[in-house]
Amino acid sequence: MIKVEPKSNYKRIDAKASPSIGLCTNSDFTDNYIHTGSPPISHVENSVNPLEGYPKLQKLRQLKSKQVADHATRPFGCRRKPDQIIPTVEKWIVENKLQFDVIMIGALADNQFIYPFLSQLPLHKLCSKPGFLFIWASTQKIRELTKLLNSEYWGKKFRRSEELVFVPLKKNSAYYPKTEFHHDDSSVPLFERQQWHCWMCITGTVRRSSDYHLIHCNIDTDLQMESITPERESNHENNAIPENLYRVVENFSNSNRRLHIIPSYLGINMPVRLRPGWVILSPDCIMDNFNPDKYQSELLRKSTIKSRSSSNGSPHYLVPQTDEIDELRPKSPPPSGNRRRND
Amino acid sequence: MADLLPLVSFFINSSASIQLSPIQSELSLIWHAYCRDNYKISISSFVDQVSRINEITKGCFWKDLDSINSECALEYINIDKLVDLEEFLKVEDDNDPNRTNSLMDIDQTSPLPSYSAEDFFHMLNKPMNPPLNALEILITKPTARKELTISKMKVKWPKRQFAEVCRNNSHVHTLSNIFGNGGDQISKLRGKVSSTIYQCTLKNVHYLPIITNYTDISLGDCSYLDTCHRMKTCRYLHYYTLNASQCDDVKNDNLSKKFYLDCIANEYTLGDCLLEYKRAVLPPQWISCDVRQIPFSILGKFAVIISDPAWDIHMSLPYGTCKDVELLSLPMNELQDEGIILLWVTGRSIETGRKALTSWGYTISDEIIWVKLNQLRRTIVTGRTGHWLNHSKEHLLVGVKGGNLPWLNRLVDSSIVVSSTRETSRKPDEIYQIVERIVGKHARKLELFGRDHNIRPGWFTIGNQVSGVSIYEEEVRIKYEEYKKLTDRKKRL
Ligand SMILES: [Zn+2]
Ligand SMILES: [Zn+2]
Repeated sequence: MIKVEPKSNYKRIDAKASPSIGLCTNSDFTDNYIHTGSPPISHVENSVNPLEGYPKLQKLRQLKSKQVADHATRPFGCRRKPDQIIPTVEKWIVENKLQFDVIMIGALADNQFIYPFLSQLPLHKLCSKPGFLFIWASTQKIRELTKLLNSEYWGKKFRRSEELVFVPLKKNSAYYPKTEFHHDDSSVPLFERQQWHCWMCITGTVRRSSDYHLIHCNIDTDLQMESITPERESNHENNAIPENLYRVVENFSNSNRRLHIIPSYLGINMPVRLRPGWVILSPDCIMDNFNPDKYQSELLRKSTIKSRSSSNGSPHYLVPQTDEIDELRPKSPPPSGNRRRND
Repeated sequence: MADLLPLVSFFINSSASIQLSPIQSELSLIWHAYCRDNYKISISSFVDQVSRINEITKGCFWKDLDSINSECALEYINIDKLVDLEEFLKVEDDNDPNRTNSLMDIDQTSPLPSYSAEDFFHMLNKPMNPPLNALEILITKPTARKELTISKMKVKWPKRQFAEVCRNNSHVHTLSNIFGNGGDQISKLRGKVSSTIYQCTLKNVHYLPIITNYTDISLGDCSYLDTCHRMKTCRYLHYYTLNASQCDDVKNDNLSKKFYLDCIANEYTLGDCLLEYKRAVLPPQWISCDVRQIPFSILGKFAVIISDPAWDIHMSLPYGTCKDVELLSLPMNELQDEGIILLWVTGRSIETGRKALTSWGYTISDEIIWVKLNQLRRTIVTGRTGHWLNHSKEHLLVGVKGGNLPWLNRLVDSSIVVSSTRETSRKPDEIYQIVERIVGKHARKLELFGRDHNIRPGWFTIGNQVSGVSIYEEEVRIKYEEYKKLTDRKKRL
C-alpha cells in the first residue's frame, strides 16, 4: 500500500544562470504594468532598433532594402469600392492574366470582413505557385480565420506556416487595438489586447535550403514591434500596415510581384499609403493609377526574369541578389547536425 | 428666472425619491441626482438656485433659514408651492424667448417669435456640439467594474521594484573599468565612482561588456549571450549584468498596515470568493503520474487549468512527447464545468491547440503572446529559431467554458507577457500571477504536464516530470489512495 504524505519542503528552483550580481534581479514587466499601466512591450530594450548589437544583420537588411528599392516598380494604387474588389481581381485574372507571388490581405483594423471576403476571392488563380499569403486579423477574428484555414478548399491549397504578431508600443498609438463594445460579460476579453496577428500561408513547393533565389529565411522574426522614431511621432505618420511589416515580406520573398488588398474602408485615421514595388487595391487608395499593361511592362524592366523549372506557368520576376547579400544571409546549417538552438 | 424651471420640475418629479435613503434630502446628494439627469451645473449655482426657489415660494424647503450651503438638508418639500411656481415659469418661458430675469419684466403682450425658413434650418443644423468621436469615447470608456478591479489588484499585489536598464555610456564605461572581468565586489563601489553613478547602480541595471583576448568587438553581440557555452573563447561580445543593488520591494511587515490594506482590498468583492482575506492559500500539491493514465475524476473540478504539453513536433527534446491524438482525447470535461484553460502552443501546434480547445468545449477568448527576452532585455532576433522566420515569441491560448462567468476578473493584465527565457521550454512564472488575478488566489488551480519547477502554493501539479506525491485536500487524498490500491491489485493479478 502506498502512503501519501504531504511534504513540507517543496522544491522551488528559481536560479538564473546568468553571470550577474546585485540584489534586485527583478524585472517583472507584468507587475509593473498592473501598477503603472505602462505596457510591458514598451520596456523592451531593442524596440527602437530591433537589430541592436548585430552589425552583420543590420548590414544585410540595409543591402536587401537597397536591392528591393532599386528594382521596385513605381507605387501603384487601385481604388475600388468594397463591392468592386472581387470583380476587379476576377477581371485581372481573366483579361490581363495577372498573377502575384506575394499577396497581403487586410490591415490593422477591426472592421475587416475577412472571412466572407476570403471565401469569395479566387486566390488560387491570383496567387502563383509557389506563392505567399499574409493575412491580417485582430485577436477576435482568429476564430474566423481558423474556420477558413480548416475548410477543405483552403486546407488543400494553402499551408499555414508562420504566425506573425505586431505589437504597438503605447496605448495612445494609432495601431493600438480599439476596445470593442460588449453587450455581456462572456464577450469581454480576459486580457487587454495589445496585438495584431498576421498569418503567413504558403502555396506550392518551396525549399528553404535550395530555393534561395526565391526566398531568404530567418532574416526577420515573427514578432514586430512598432517603431517609434522621433520623426514618426511628430508626424503621426501611421499607415494601414506599419512599414516594417512590408519590409518583413520584402526581405523574405525575392519576388517582385507584390499585391496588397485591403477589402474595407479604414476610416480617416488610417490612410492607405502606396509603396514602391507594391500594387495596393483598396477603397481608400490615395492614387488610382494602376494599369495592368503598364505594370507588366515595368515588371519586365525592373526584374530579373527566370523561367520555371516546370515548363508551364509564367516565369519568376525576381529581385536580383548580390554576392554580399548571399554571404551575409542566415543559411540552413550543414547536415552534420549538432547545432544549437536558441529558444 | 426661467432658468429655474428645470430644477423646479426636477423637485416636483423626484420629491419622493430625494427624501428617501440614500439621498435623505441632503443638498449635495440631490445635486448629484440632478446632474445625473444631465443638467450640468456646479454645486454652488445649484445651491444658489435652491435658495432662490425657497425665497420666491416663501419657504417651500425651509421655513426660515439664514444661509444655505451644500452641507444643508431640506427640511421638507412643499409640492403645492413648487407646482404653482412651475406653472408660472412655464408661462413665462413660453411667452418670452429672451428669458427675462425678473417677474416685473414680463411683457405679456410681446408677440410670438417668428422664424424664417432659413433660421429654422440653421437651428436644425446647429450641432449639439458633441465631439466627433463622442460615441466612440462613450463606448470605449472603461467600465466602473474594470477600474475597481484594477484598483483592487494594485492593493492585493504590492508593487515590486522594477529596475530599468541604464543606457548611459559613461556609466557603463566607468563601471566596466572597475569591475574588470567581473571579479570585484559591489560593496566596494561606493567612493570609487561619482555619487550620480553610485545612485544609479542602486536603482538601475547596467550591462557591462566583457572583453577577453578573443573578443572581436566589430562582430557585435553573441547570439547566446549569458547562455553561451564557450564564453571564454567566443569571439562575440558578452555582458556582465550589474543588477540594481538596492531592493525596495514593499514589504508588509507592518501588521496594522497589512490589516488596513486587506480591508481596502476586500471592500470591492466582485470576483472574489467568500471571506477571501481570512483564508490561507493551500500548500503546493502534486502527483507524479502519466497524465494520459490517471483518472481525472479523483482530482475534482478546477477553476483554471494550465497545460504545457510536450507537443510531438519531430524535435529531440529531453523528455517524452505527447501525440496530438492522445492530447485531444483527454477527458477534460471531467476537470472543469466552468472556468478557464491555458494551453501553451508553438509553431505547428498552434492550430492543433486551437482545435483541441474547441473540441473540449471551450471558446477561445484570448491569446497571450510571450515575448521572449535575452540577458540584455532585448527580443531574440537571431539564431534561426524558426523555419521561415525567426521566432521571438510563443503563444498561450486561453479558452473559457461555462458562458458568462461573473467571478472572472477581466481586463486586468495585458495579453503581451514580456519575460526572459530560461531553460529550454520553461515558461515564464508571470503567468501564475496573471491567472491568480483572474480566478482569485483561492480558486482550485491545476497544471497538467508540470515539472518540479512548476510546483507552487495554491496549485495542483500533475505530470510524469514531478517527483513523488503530495496531497493536502482530504477528498483527493482518499480517492487517490483508492485508485492506487486498485491499480496495485491489478498489477499483482
Ligand atoms: Zn547608470
Ligand atoms: Zn558566445
